[in-house]
Amino acid sequence: MTRKAAAGSQTSLREANKALVLETVQHWGGLTQVELAAATGLSQATVSTIVRELLGVGVVETAVTTRSGRRAQLVTVARRMGLAVGIQVSHRQLRIVLGDFGHTVLAEQTLPLPNEHRLDTSLDRAALLVVDLLERMGSTLDEVVGIGVGVPAPVDVDTGMISVRGLMRGWDDVHLGHTLSKRLACPVSVDNDANLGALAESTLGAGRAYRDSVFVRASYGTGAGVVIGGRVHRGYAGTAGEIGHVQVDPLGDICRCGNRGCLDTVVGASALVEPLRASLGALALRDVVQRARDGDPGCARVIADAGAQIGAVVAGLGMAVNPQVVIVGGELAETGEVLLGPMREAISRRVLINQIAPLEVVPAALGSRAEVMGALLLALQTADVPVRVDIEEEKVG
Amino acid sequence: MTVLDTDGSLTCHVFDGEQVGTQVSGAGAPLLSMRGITKRFGAVEALVGVDFEVHAHEVVALVGDNGAGKSTLAKMVAGVLAPDAGFIEIAGQPVTIPSPAAAQDLGVATVFQDLALCENLDVTANLFLGRELHGAVSRDDAEMERVTREVLDKLASRIPSVRTPLSHLSAGQRQTVAIARTLIGAPQIVVLDEPTAALSVVQTAEVLMHIERLRDLGLGVILISHNMTDVRAVSDRIEVLRHGRNNGSYDASSTSFEEIIAAITGATHAERGLRSVS
Repeated sequence: MTRKAAAGSQTSLREANKALVLETVQHWGGLTQVELAAATGLSQATVSTIVRELLGVGVVETAVTTRSGRRAQLVTVARRMGLAVGIQVSHRQLRIVLGDFGHTVLAEQTLPLPNEHRLDTSLDRAALLVVDLLERMGSTLDEVVGIGVGVPAPVDVDTGMISVRGLMRGWDDVHLGHTLSKRLACPVSVDNDANLGALAESTLGAGRAYRDSVFVRASYGTGAGVVIGGRVHRGYAGTAGEIGHVQVDPLGDICRCGNRGCLDTVVGASALVEPLRASLGALALRDVVQRARDGDPGCARVIADAGAQIGAVVAGLGMAVNPQVVIVGGELAETGEVLLGPMREAISRRVLINQIAPLEVVPAALGSRAEVMGALLLALQTADVPVRVDIEEEKVG
Repeated sequence: MTVLDTDGSLTCHVFDGEQVGTQVSGAGAPLLSMRGITKRFGAVEALVGVDFEVHAHEVVALVGDNGAGKSTLAKMVAGVLAPDAGFIEIAGQPVTIPSPAAAQDLGVATVFQDLALCENLDVTANLFLGRELHGAVSRDDAEMERVTREVLDKLASRIPSVRTPLSHLSAGQRQTVAIARTLIGAPQIVVLDEPTAALSVVQTAEVLMHIERLRDLGLGVILISHNMTDVRAVSDRIEVLRHGRNNGSYDASSTSFEEIIAAITGATHAERGLRSVS
C-alpha cells in the first residue's frame, strides 16, 4: 500500500495510519493484530498503539482469540451490542442491509426479483442472503438481535401477515415474520414499506426536526406512512396511509384490491409504462425513471402527471393529519423535481394554507435506502436490548 | 463485412413473405438478427429454422431443456460453430462469424460456462489476456490497470484489488472478472452462458446486478440460464427453444412462471407467425 508515503508532518502520518488500520479492519470484518500488521505493512508496535487509541474512543473492539494455537488479539469494528438486519421486499428487488446500534450500515446487497415473485423463493433467498452477508463480515446469526422486513402491502404488525388480500399474489395467509424467524432463529418484525420509510426519515432523515410528517412512497405502487407525534401511525390493521387505494377515477379500471379506479391503477408501474409503448417501445419502470432524469420529454411528462395525481390524494391525507412536512421517496422520487414539482403544486393548491407552518414537500434524505433503513431501525427498536447488554457486560467482566 | 463461404454447406435461406414480415420492429434495426438458423450434427437436429434477435439496451433470455439448442445458438453468435443454413445480421449488415476472433471484431463478447480464466494471473492480466496494451517501449501495465479499475467500477463490482490473483477470488468474483473481460474492446452484444449456475445467493445477486448494468450501458445481452427466477428477474424478453425450434417469445415482465415452463416442456406450442415482436 502506498498510502503511508503520503506524509507531511508526524501527526498527518499518524492520522493516515489510523485511517488505514480502521479501513483494513472494516474491509476484512475482523483481523488479529498480527494479521493487521501484515495487511497494512505497519509495524506491530504501531498497530498496537493505534488499536489501543481506537479502542479508547470506542471505534473498535478487541477480543481474545487463538491463531495457530497462540493467543491473539482479534480486532473488529465496534458493533455496539449487536447487529440488526433490514430487509426490503419490493416488486422487483430485494434489498438487505446489515447494521449496528449506531445505525451504521456494515454490509448491503440488492437482488433483482422477477415480476410476481414467489413467496417461498423470495423468503428463502432473503434468508440465504442474510447468512451470506454475515459470513462476509466474519459474523454469525448469534450476533443478530433482530430482523426487520418491509413489504409493499399493508401489514398487521402483531401477526406479521399482509392484512389486505390480493395485493401481493401468493403472499396472503402467511405469517411472514414467523416463517423467517423459524428459519433464522431470531426475532422478525414485519411492516409496510412506506411505514418503514416514514420511520427512517422521521428518525434519521428529512423528518427529524418535525413531530408530524407524511412519507410518500411513489414506486411500482403508491403508499404513505404517517408519523404523528413522532410515532408511526399504522392504524388497527395496518392500512393507515394506503393512498394507493384511494379512488381517483370512478370509471377507472378495477384494482387488484377489488375496488374501481384506485390511485395505483392510474400511477402504478403498468399505467406509467403503457402510454409510452407507442412512442418509445417496451420500457421497464426504471428505464422511464432514468430517461426522465436524462431529460426525455415523454418520460418526464408521465412522471410529472403522476406527481400531480399523487399530490391530489396526498393533499387529502394532509388535511386529515396536518403534517409539517411531506417526504417523498420510492423509485419515482429519483427523478427529483420532475415528480416533486407537480406534486408540491397539487398539494399546496388543495390543503388549507396555515400561517404557522406551511406544508413543505421534500425528497427523502435517505433516498432509495429509506425503506430498508426503516426495516433496520424497526429491528433495532423492537430488539430486546437490556438483556444483550447484560450478556455483553458479563463477557467483559 | 463480406459474406464468406466458410464451407460448401453454407447456403442462403430464402424466406416466405410471412417470416420477412416479422422483421418489422418499432425500435430500429436489431443489434443481432438470426433468421432460419439450421444446424445438424449427423442425425441430430440441433437447430431447425430458428429465428432470434437482440436489440440494444435489452436482455434476452434463451431458455429450454437440456439439448434444446441454446448453447448451439450461442456458439454460433460467438463464432465457434457455423450454421448449415440461415441468415445472420449484425446491426443490419449480413455477416458470417467464422471464428471467435471474427465475433470479437463484430462486437460480440461471450462468457462461457467454464469462464476460461487463468488461475495464476491477476485480474488485470486476465482481462487483457491475448490483447495486452502496448506503450511506446513495452507493455503498458499502468494503463491496463486503469482500464481494469474503470471497467470494474462500471459494473460496481466488489473486487478489492486489480492485482489479486484469480486463485484468491470466490466463484462469484470470478464470474465478475469474466463479465468485466467482455467489456474490454467496447462490445455491443454480450453472451452469458449459465452465469449464475453454482453461485451462492449473494454472488448471484451481484451477477444479476452486473447484467442490469450491462443493459443500462446500452448493450444487448443474451442470457442462457436454467434458473427461471434469475431469468425473469433481469430479462426483458424470454425466447423458448424446444427440440431445436422456437417455441414462443415472451415479455418477461408480464409472463408467469407457468407460461414459460409450459412452453419449455411442450405443454404449449407457439405457432409460427404469431410471435410477439418487441
